[in-house]
Amino acid sequence: MENNTMNRTRIRTIIFKVFVYSFLVGFAIFVLIPFYWMVLTSFKSFEQVRTEVPPSLFIGFKDLRLIENYASAWTAAPYWEYMLRTVTVAAISTVGTIFTTIFAAFAFARLNFKGRDLLFLALISTMMIPGEMFVITNYITVSNLGWYTPLGQTQFEAMLALTMPFMTSVFYLFFLRQAFKQIPDELYLAAKVDGTSDWKYLWKIMVPIASPTIITIIILNAMGTWSAYIWPKLVAAEYPLVTNGLREAYQDFFGMVNYSQQMAAALIVTLPLLIVFLFLKKYIMRGVSRSGIKG
Amino acid sequence: MEITLKEITKIFQAKDKSETVAVNKLDITIPSGKLIGLLGPSGCGKSTTLYMIAGLLTPNEGRIYFGDEDVTDMAPEDRGIGLVFQNYALYPHMTVRQNIMFPLENIKVPKQEALQRAQEMADLVGIGELMNRKPKQLSGGQQQRVAIARALVKKPRVLLLDEPLSNLDARLRLATREEIKRIQRETGITTIFVTHDQEEAMSISDEIVLMDLGVKQQVGEPQDVYDDPYNLFVAKFLGTPPINMIPGEIKNNQVFVKGAKIGGKVAKNQDVVVGIRPEGFNIDPKGSLELEVYMVETIGRDTTLIIKNFEDEEKSYRVIVDARHRIQPGDKVKFNIDEDKFYVFNQETGERL
Amino acid sequence: MLEKQSNLKALFYLAPAMVLLSVFTFYPLFNAFFLAFLKDYEFLLRSARGFTILGNFKNVITDPDFGIAMKNTSIITFISVPISVIVALLISVALNSVKKLQGAFQTIFFLPYVTNAIAIGMAFAFIFHADYGLLNTILGWFGINPINWVGLNASWSNAMFALLVYTVWGGLAFKIMVFLSGLQSIDKQYYDAARVDATPRRRVLTRITIPLLSPMIFYITVTSFIGAFKAYRTIIGMFGETLRPPGTLSKDSLITIVGLVYDALAHADATGKMSEAAAASIILFSITMIFTLIQMQISKRRVHF
Repeated sequence: MENNTMNRTRIRTIIFKVFVYSFLVGFAIFVLIPFYWMVLTSFKSFEQVRTEVPPSLFIGFKDLRLIENYASAWTAAPYWEYMLRTVTVAAISTVGTIFTTIFAAFAFARLNFKGRDLLFLALISTMMIPGEMFVITNYITVSNLGWYTPLGQTQFEAMLALTMPFMTSVFYLFFLRQAFKQIPDELYLAAKVDGTSDWKYLWKIMVPIASPTIITIIILNAMGTWSAYIWPKLVAAEYPLVTNGLREAYQDFFGMVNYSQQMAAALIVTLPLLIVFLFLKKYIMRGVSRSGIKG
Repeated sequence: MEITLKEITKIFQAKDKSETVAVNKLDITIPSGKLIGLLGPSGCGKSTTLYMIAGLLTPNEGRIYFGDEDVTDMAPEDRGIGLVFQNYALYPHMTVRQNIMFPLENIKVPKQEALQRAQEMADLVGIGELMNRKPKQLSGGQQQRVAIARALVKKPRVLLLDEPLSNLDARLRLATREEIKRIQRETGITTIFVTHDQEEAMSISDEIVLMDLGVKQQVGEPQDVYDDPYNLFVAKFLGTPPINMIPGEIKNNQVFVKGAKIGGKVAKNQDVVVGIRPEGFNIDPKGSLELEVYMVETIGRDTTLIIKNFEDEEKSYRVIVDARHRIQPGDKVKFNIDEDKFYVFNQETGERL
Repeated sequence: MLEKQSNLKALFYLAPAMVLLSVFTFYPLFNAFFLAFLKDYEFLLRSARGFTILGNFKNVITDPDFGIAMKNTSIITFISVPISVIVALLISVALNSVKKLQGAFQTIFFLPYVTNAIAIGMAFAFIFHADYGLLNTILGWFGINPINWVGLNASWSNAMFALLVYTVWGGLAFKIMVFLSGLQSIDKQYYDAARVDATPRRRVLTRITIPLLSPMIFYITVTSFIGAFKAYRTIIGMFGETLRPPGTLSKDSLITIVGLVYDALAHADATGKMSEAAAASIILFSITMIFTLIQMQISKRRVHF
């Protein structure tokens, strides 16, 4: 009798476990499919993709084209140039963002000044406003400043147009202020008693303590630049970043699209993000789950 | 419901595969219908033991019996236990009534009966008026009672409480421990509670089980354990202020402390540790033990003399004397020691001689 | 504690961010309203012929594309968000209940968040390819003939279906992460208490987990509505700049409200287009504002469960 109920609960637990894992595996496959399809197609030859209907879901070892499509994707557009430019833009805007947000977050978290709370409220309210509202005027501003002219824009002007509007961020400022706020007041008071200047306290105490948050900001900002598409297309059409290059160089319309090459290119653009993610997972995940709780 | 633990061992494995023995070959029999305090310092395995009785943890070795029934492999919901958690675990989105009724709904008790039983239980613990409040609107003591009502409403065979008083302030603690005692008396349910506070355990338990490092140290009625500790640990753990541990020796069946003879003990000659309860000192001009008073603490009812411990500055000795004696720091006072207020322990093993 | 004001010092620390924000955030905000009320604004000449109160808004709303964009945006929002919220909730509950492989699953489910919307959009377009696509291959196993999802002259509903699948896929990661961190912050003792009280699994989910998580579910739903209302890059990823399957007419376009803004901006040189872009962005802003206000109202009332 007793044994029976025991076995029944045990069996029910096992069935439940099997069910949960199947559910998870099912959705894991759903999530992974696009990646698999990209990788698979990028390893197929042009002919194989074009002649196999329906396409094979696996690829034999002898049919594997490990390099061919990547090489042709790489040369179909000046990818080195795109990447170099993207990395440069990401570096400039990230360094800029870090400095401006550290300064401002320090002021909001540590200093007492007239209108502080009102100003902060005004700043975080702008987070509710869709970016498109800013883009329109920024496009005009960038043109007025001479950084964007439809013809004859120089590389330097393009860089200014691509980076200057992204040298600070209200969201990161908010995020970093929260991290700064968590540092106990006592540390600041102790530093004051010891005669430490604000400047020194910021760099020697606050920044090191908040460094995980700062790393998160660096990663998220750099990844954002890597995936930027709309703004670069608007103000630097002749100097595309990787994502613009990807969409344009392998645009499929009516012609004979080389899908394996297209997928190889898509993977080239995706791969750096995945690598960064796998190595710096905890920083990225923390940033995301924090921002969900309130931000 | 008598509860028997037979040779229970629980080993926790950390991520790095290192193992911790939380409970080691524990044998306890908990008599039916009594209030039992499971007592010990933090990390002694008392909560682990409680959770194993509840079924939330499974022992690696040994068996647990409720009466004659072996419940070791039984799921917690089948054991017929009520469990009150340390932080009460009241569902914040439900009212008091919904919280108390929740266990009944799980076992599909008809609505009307469930409502009635919930009300009875709430009245028993004295929160019958608060049924429509949410937990956040209650004080800590009231939340505690809701948690007890929720644990009792399904008429469990055993009531388990994990550190029931630790989240309450000092004043509420006194009131609540009496309340727990009353509820236990009225329901007559076998009740086990875990605590690290010896005063709390002594004050309301019918019996206490004293544990340390996963091993049972002593079981018995509070006064018996206090009066007759089996070992150094038990003697040290019970009593406030704690017992004074003084190096001494046995010579010719006499016990000597600081060169003074304080009593007799039939044992072979050796160095020992002598424990003297603070209340065991009697001021007597003809007393054998002379001590220099370092500080005097007055609380009105009686007076505590603090004596410098030259072996260990941290652990000064404490002597409780009648408040009528007016003693100044620096005074040298002579004492006699009550025969039944000192214990002699083996220096190596800590066992009582 | 910090009663002494230090205005000058604050100015020094705030200046870099504030200068940039003034130029690229605050000024554009006011200027958007200014532009939206200019009559016949010529971007090339930077001149307008006076003001108009509703002229630009009227131009936006009466454009046939506006109706199409509203329809598309609403469908994307009100279909993809509920689906992805429910699926994400189930996945995170399942994920939270297992020990083995939890980390691995978590990593997998998070992947869509760190990918490039354009690149993955291209991959999805290829999955939905009529001849070479994975989906039709699988459907073929069940005897279903190839469907033209996103190819030449594909129907609006097919294309929208494909887009919705991609949108749900892309929206899961963030929600799963947030829900999971919410679940992990729920006190384990609630579940122990539920176990002791013989609570069936389904009741644990519906009576304990979901109510305790409800503020977060609500928050995520509203912010996802706002996010989905701004859909644009996913569509470019799948369909390119035309925002529709090749060969189809503009009535079958998958254009969204954001698409309208950028469409107008792309023709900024034409008379009044810049103002229309501003007007469209203000309409977008108003809609998202409504969502935000609803959220603030409800969460104010529901702060204490």
